Amino acid sequence: MDGGQHGVDRDSEAAGAQPIIAAQRICKDFGSLSVLRGISLEAANHDVISIIGASGSGKSTFLRCLNLLEMPTSGSLRIGGEDLDLRPGPQGLVAGDRKQVRRIRAMLGMVFQGFNLWSHMNVLDNVMAGPVHVQGRSKAEARESAEHYLQRVGLYEKRDAYPAFMSGGQQQRAAIARALAMEPAAVLFDEPTSALDPELVGEVLKVIRGLAEEGRTMIVVTHEMAFARDVSSKVLFLHKGEVEEAGPPGELFRAPRSERLKAFLTRAAV
Amino acid sequence: MYAFQVLSDHIPLFLTGLGNTLLLLVLSAVLAFALALPLALVVTRKVRVATPLIEAVSYMFRGTPLIVQVYLLYYGLAQFAFIRGSLLWPWLREAWTCLLIAFTLGSCAYLIQILRGAIEAVPHGEVEAARAIGMSPFQTLRIVVLPNALRRSLPSLENETIFLLHATAIASLVTVIDLLGAGRNFNTIYYFTYEGFAIAGLLYLAIVGFLRLTFALLEKKLLVHLRRAGI
Repeated sequence: MDGGQHGVDRDSEAAGAQPIIAAQRICKDFGSLSVLRGISLEAANHDVISIIGASGSGKSTFLRCLNLLEMPTSGSLRIGGEDLDLRPGPQGLVAGDRKQVRRIRAMLGMVFQGFNLWSHMNVLDNVMAGPVHVQGRSKAEARESAEHYLQRVGLYEKRDAYPAFMSGGQQQRAAIARALAMEPAAVLFDEPTSALDPELVGEVLKVIRGLAEEGRTMIVVTHEMAFARDVSSKVLFLHKGEVEEAGPPGELFRAPRSERLKAFLTRAAV
Repeated sequence: MYAFQVLSDHIPLFLTGLGNTLLLLVLSAVLAFALALPLALVVTRKVRVATPLIEAVSYMFRGTPLIVQVYLLYYGLAQFAFIRGSLLWPWLREAWTCLLIAFTLGSCAYLIQILRGAIEAVPHGEVEAARAIGMSPFQTLRIVVLPNALRRSLPSLENETIFLLHATAIASLVTVIDLLGAGRNFNTIYYFTYEGFAIAGLLYLAIVGFLRLTFALLEKKLLVHLRRAGI
């Protein structure tokens, strides 16, 4: 209802020290099923936030609400100092400003469980497409930056290959390069290693760890407990659409307070 | 030998036939495709009134023999005084225009189904990746969905083009001299049945050969990304 008052808040944007992602009381219903029941999260610059929890706990749905691939039923989002214009509609919120949504999405890189590379483009074109078509950068410039990021994920030699010719690990690293080439303010990872053969998980995790060490802001939905423990600045444990426990990984993994997290960690065998 | 001598005197007849067949094929194929692509997009979007309407009309065209549609257009329209009186009559009275319309709409009906299937087969994850990177719906269509779908549909498009070529033989039934018409004229004048129809048949074969070659080149160039994917 107060959508008209939203929009870019120049003053606070200039302040700079505020979170890159601030999600407030995000709820999501699918019909009568409540998948998210008021989840809030703040990610400041250089934060690496891992979201863990059993399947069905709402981790992925929450992540997909952050760039509006999924529209929340209620709640508010502030990305890069910009309040998202979300208005109540018949089935949850609707975006009031489509351009703003696209701008926000371009700011938040996303890496999917299933890679989702564009199958008719080779790796280089996959990485260049966003910068060229969405950001309007010149092809030469986009190519240079694409090659840089492919180098970064160890796929420069594979730049002319098509996705179908590559292993899952290579495809996922290419997808990471595609996200990085947009120079995003933060990167969202949606179970980036869950679709990989066990022997390929390592090469992808190594790349993501490297990004964390670079100080990139990331939100990672993951089943890799060792990764969450070692790399995150903060861990959220979701249970049935709510944050059951949250805190620095040291505390959370060493001394879980809730019975549910204890049980979950035992099952995950950390 | 006499037959071939006579035949060589009638090269212009067969060239006229070839010209009409090719022109009908190319024009109706291009028009049908231009018409089918937006309609297929509407069908995949499940628009409230438009989608069932397009489906129904497409069903009508696919549900009746093309020759019936040609007869209805060419012989049937003349029964209506208001059509005879309309500005379009100079065109609609011509067999050639009626054929072009029938072939275009008939082929379009099939193309809609081919393209609809190909568009729906684009992996949802690729569309989602396009949205997630900030592409607009139109960009998603232009950069991700259509290039993927059109490549995917190449083999079916080749088939449809060949079917359309063979369907153009209907032209000879409504006074237009196409390839078959040329063969038939030749037969009518000289009773050289085999020679006339065989030449027509060989020329059809040659056109199909050319189409096959064109599509093979397109597939070689555009389908490299699928070669390992088991397609």
